[in-house]
Amino acid sequence: MIRVNDLYKTIGQVKALNGLSFHADNGTITGLLGPNGAGKTTCLRTLLGLLKADSGSASIDGFDIARQTQQARQQIGLFPDPFGLYERLTPREYVQFFAELNGMSSQAAKLATAQVLSLLRMDEIADRRCQGFSQGQRMKTALAQAIVHKPTNIVLDEPTRGLDVMSTRVLRELLLTLKQQGHCVLFSSHVMQEVAALCDQVVVMAKGRVVAQGSPAELCARTGKNSLEDAFITLIGTDEGIAA
Amino acid sequence: MIRLFNTLFRKELLDASRDKRSVMAGLYYALGTPILMCLLFSVLLKQLSSTDELQITIENAEAAPALVHYLASKEINHGEGDKVKAIRLQLSTDFQQSMQQGRPAVVIIDADRSNDRLQSAIRRLERALSQYSNEVAHLRLLARGIDPNLLQAIDVQMHDQATPDSRGGMFLGVATLSIILTLFYAAMNLAIDTSAGERERNSLTLLLSQPLSSLQLVLAKVVAISCFSMAGLLLILVVSKFAYGMVPWQQLGFSISLNLDFMLFAIVVGLPLALMSASLQVMVSFMAKSFKEAQTYVTLVLFVPLVLSMVTTYNIADDYLQWLPIAAQQQAMIAFLKGAVIPVPQLMVSSVITLLIFGVCSYASSRLLKSEKVVFSL
Repeated sequence: MIRVNDLYKTIGQVKALNGLSFHADNGTITGLLGPNGAGKTTCLRTLLGLLKADSGSASIDGFDIARQTQQARQQIGLFPDPFGLYERLTPREYVQFFAELNGMSSQAAKLATAQVLSLLRMDEIADRRCQGFSQGQRMKTALAQAIVHKPTNIVLDEPTRGLDVMSTRVLRELLLTLKQQGHCVLFSSHVMQEVAALCDQVVVMAKGRVVAQGSPAELCARTGKNSLEDAFITLIGTDEGIAA
Repeated sequence: MIRLFNTLFRKELLDASRDKRSVMAGLYYALGTPILMCLLFSVLLKQLSSTDELQITIENAEAAPALVHYLASKEINHGEGDKVKAIRLQLSTDFQQSMQQGRPAVVIIDADRSNDRLQSAIRRLERALSQYSNEVAHLRLLARGIDPNLLQAIDVQMHDQATPDSRGGMFLGVATLSIILTLFYAAMNLAIDTSAGERERNSLTLLLSQPLSSLQLVLAKVVAISCFSMAGLLLILVVSKFAYGMVPWQQLGFSISLNLDFMLFAIVVGLPLALMSASLQVMVSFMAKSFKEAQTYVTLVLFVPLVLSMVTTYNIADDYLQWLPIAAQQQAMIAFLKGAVIPVPQLMVSSVITLLIFGVCSYASSRLLKSEKVVFSL
């Protein structure tokens, strides 16, 4: 469960977040949809406590990120963009490292790592160094890292960027599984198809604030359009920076 | 707390140890320096101990056969060809006549005094000429029934207290400095890679999003780098032991020999320095905005140990500088090698200061990692 309440953040001259409020519930996939420069990445960084909001608050499972930073972070699995892999480590070492960082004992971490690697069908590449991995293999490694410690909330920053169809499907299936298991999945994207296919809830962002929140069908109905894409353009008032 | 540190530390160690190029770059220094030093010392010692024949151009030699003979006894000869130094000694045509009349006979040394490579040769020639002049003058006085000692108002006697070991001061200074510098060079690449490199590879933000404190992260990095520095130290000690064993010290009547006791001493003294070096370089790398910038800054930082070491070895500044890090540790190492009394208070104080700097730099780095500007290179 992620709550964002009236966040303001200015970076340099730019008002990156301008009174942003939304919430993402457990057992749902929430898409943070917005054109380039809408403040999606800033929002996620603030949510993780990497950026400090000028005002407003964000909480994860009730833990305020500004005051109870470590507890809040423990509830999150992060799939970052870019992935931030260690080229010289193998996926097994990499994933186990993050499992232990999130408080697992080395025994439990080893076990959880083996499970998540086989869940993502990565056994073949599990003991090869990440150097030279394809984009799909990198994505899987990053995904394994994000979910290995079974956090309630999974945050993904532009997860489908640069992926081929097969990798996108793996990702999509996993997100649906996580949803069924009752996790809160929040991902940022500017790809319409992805959001339309996956999300129960869509948070439409522009210029650092929420323009609309609802299910894809609700957004279409509200704007009187047939497709989410048209609804989106109507909502933000421009078609700048959107991938179809 | 401890478990998290262990996890981070093990990952840093594993990641760094697989960065073969960075590790090897640091170790090449430890491997190569003693061998270079060994060659350098051998050449220096050869120059110090042997007085080669000095060949110059003597013009009008037939005017003063006695003087030319005297110079030859001092191995200063007229020569031709490549080995002749650019020094011309001109004997005046009336040399013999002036000598006989007891007037100063003119000899002219024609050479470029600003040429550093001629300095010692010119001095040697001047000394030989003045000795000859003295001898002749003494004989003249004797011939006139005057005690030549009247010319000598005071008798300066130099009692040289230098022992063979203390005479090797310069060699010891260079040898110990090269050992201490390992702690910096071995850490350099790894420190940059683990900080500025980690940020450029985008793994830093992911790490900082995990439930850990930035101080733990910094300490794990610093301690891991220190391990590699200490490995470098161990390597240079072992290589030095063999390399310095091959220098022909007997010409100086003194020797540098690194025994096991010294190695242990160097390791104990070097440990705080390794921590300081790693924390300093990590902090500087985090302050830089990019990998390349970090390389420039860290290279500048490496100047500090050089300066501190120079200051003590060549006695440039006041005594209080001997309490500073690096300077005091180096002096203690030199004292240990000479078999002299180790300056314990200085060593203690400087070790404490060294550890304090390690603490301050680590804390500063952890503060830097809380800054949005630093983490995202804004």
